[in-house]
Amino acid sequence: MTKLLEIENLSVEFDGFKAVDGVNLSVDEGKVVGIVGESGSGKSVTQLALMGLIPYPGIIKADRLMFHNSDLMALSAKKRRSITGKDVSMIFQEPMTSLNPCFTVEYQISEALKIHEGGTRQERRKRVIELLSQVGIPAPEDRLGTFPHQLSGGMSQRVMIAMAIACSPRLLIADEPTTALDVTIQAQILELIMDLQQKKNMALVLITHDMAVIAETVEDVVVMYAGQVVEKNSSDRIFTNPCHPYTEALLNALPERNINSKRLPTIPGLVPGKFDRPDGCLFHPRCKHAKKMCKEVVPKYSEKNSIGVRCHFPLINGVPQYD
Amino acid sequence: MIQFLAKRLLQIIPAFIGVTLLTFSLVHLIPGDPVELRAGERGIDPKRHAEMKAAMGLDKPLPVQYFDYITGVFKGDLGKSFVTKKPVLKEFLTLFPATMELSFCAIIFAIIFGLPAGVIAGVKRGTIFDHSVMGISLTGYSMPIFWWGLLLILFFSVQLGWTPVSGRLSALFWIDADTGFMLIDTLRSNEPGAFKSALSHLILPSIVLGTIPLAVIARMTRSSMLEVLQEDYVRTARAKGVSPSRVVMVHALRNALIPVITVIGLQIGVLLAGAILTETIFAWPGIGKWIVEAINRRDYPVVQGGILMISSLVIFVNLIVDILYGIVNPRIRHTA
Ligand SMILES: Nc1ncnc2c1ncn2[C@@H]1O[C@H](COP(=O)(O)OP(=O)(O)OP(=O)(O)O)[C@@H](O)[C@H]1O
Ligand SMILES: [Mg+2]
Repeated sequence: MTKLLEIENLSVEFDGFKAVDGVNLSVDEGKVVGIVGESGSGKSVTQLALMGLIPYPGIIKADRLMFHNSDLMALSAKKRRSITGKDVSMIFQEPMTSLNPCFTVEYQISEALKIHEGGTRQERRKRVIELLSQVGIPAPEDRLGTFPHQLSGGMSQRVMIAMAIACSPRLLIADEPTTALDVTIQAQILELIMDLQQKKNMALVLITHDMAVIAETVEDVVVMYAGQVVEKNSSDRIFTNPCHPYTEALLNALPERNINSKRLPTIPGLVPGKFDRPDGCLFHPRCKHAKKMCKEVVPKYSEKNSIGVRCHFPLINGVPQYD
Repeated sequence: MIQFLAKRLLQIIPAFIGVTLLTFSLVHLIPGDPVELRAGERGIDPKRHAEMKAAMGLDKPLPVQYFDYITGVFKGDLGKSFVTKKPVLKEFLTLFPATMELSFCAIIFAIIFGLPAGVIAGVKRGTIFDHSVMGISLTGYSMPIFWWGLLLILFFSVQLGWTPVSGRLSALFWIDADTGFMLIDTLRSNEPGAFKSALSHLILPSIVLGTIPLAVIARMTRSSMLEVLQEDYVRTARAKGVSPSRVVMVHALRNALIPVITVIGLQIGVLLAGAILTETIFAWPGIGKWIVEAINRRDYPVVQGGILMISSLVIFVNLIVDILYGIVNPRIRHTA
């Protein structure tokens, strides 16, 4: 299996606040990786760093940021742009605000084609119609002159997807692509993305809050907490045998695991913010297995047998391994 | 789009009625009796007074008078100047090109410098360039026109002798006023040096009149740009691999222009007000100077007609701005 994306020790800082802190992530060609984590855990920022889209005060550092044999950190801005939107593309959480209100659907999709593939106007128009029908928009010819405000949320997201797959990317990043949509539409959009992933054999990074989605669609799962990757595991194992106490707590809080109880268990405490990052393990104040060492020593991220975990005492069958 | 246009056209009717009501009541709000005003110091005997009142239509009930006034306006009859005895409309039309030429050059000056300055300040937020643009435009905005005009005249005309002090054209030339636009007339006259003279006469007044609009446009463009640059769709454009210059010039600017166009439209109203001062400073023979002189001479038909024409003009300009707005902003066009 060839590695498509390899991120090692990626950090993104905003005014001294580490939004992303030492993240490792690798994605194989044609594979699906899910990323889960609470709001503010750095899921989006990690992917924006990969796309080169971190806004102004953000500072990016990484030991390696390899995409398909090229080191993204070493590329010129121009070279980098020739990859962004072509080989890696991204769809966002808010479809309604992600399309430019001043331009037609055709203009916005064919712009990506024009930049990366050129071609004549007619060729591009034909391709746009093809793409629109691929993402399930009925009567695509009639939609070319449509402006974003005339589209529903679901339709907008379909247009965003068409735009993202226009240049047949090797990697598609979907950042909570269904969160802003009606429940009935969510399943359709997700199905569309998974379908395209299969047909085009793209690798997919799917960011989601929804564990059920992870269980159904994803092969590998990365769990993030406070800007760090705390666990990387296959989705089969993670549900039955999570290694990190945070993953365990997250799973225990799922409604479907608490059908008979009146109240959902919650994880006590809050995600640390800019001013209250604890020493040692970032999760220790909320961890029910924490020991003295957890308060003092920062755990390292280590990978063994393709399971990665950032914990001094990883769980085996729910039991922390103190030794 | 046609529906949108029709709707905008309908909307100007109440505005126009409002303006005519205002100018109509102007005559009735003026202290004193128009007939006595005309009769002057000598006074007038009651019989003659009643006759004249009837001749002016002032004995009829107010609604009828208003109706007569409106019909007059639509026939192009704005009354006659007390002083020159010439029809107000004719005087207006003779002088208007001068004001239009000046205002046009002023707004072009303001846009040419204000728009790029605002865009660059927005894109390079927090840099020295940004701070300078903001500082200078704040100064320009708060500069009294009168003082600013005199300052420029003192420096460029008196000290350096680069530009003429006043008027529209050097006395050396005699140009037929075909169009009334000096730049065009001098160009067509084939008189050597005349165009250059007309242009040099325009420079300082345009700068003076355009300073406030320039400051407003620059500030508005900057803040609009700042807002638009952090929109999701700008990120989407970057995610497509669009170059930074194209992101700014196409994706951001198009959206940022929407509020700026409104501001430019509003500035044209401000411009006509500013023209009154500017024309007085530079002895520019336009509408502004004409109205100021009419006020001094208590030439009420001129004041009334002039205000009506200027107000209608502002309504018309706003209509144009609305249409432009609809062209730039598809949301307006479709929901209208
Ligand atoms: N432009 C920015 N400037 C400053 N801080 C930022 C910026 N963008 C993100 N952050 C901070 O980085 C942290 C991680 O944000 P991120 O958007 O990656 O979270 P997330 O995991 O995607 O959350 P969500 O599930 O809500 O999308 C947050 O604390 C956020 O406040
Ligand atoms: Mg996010």
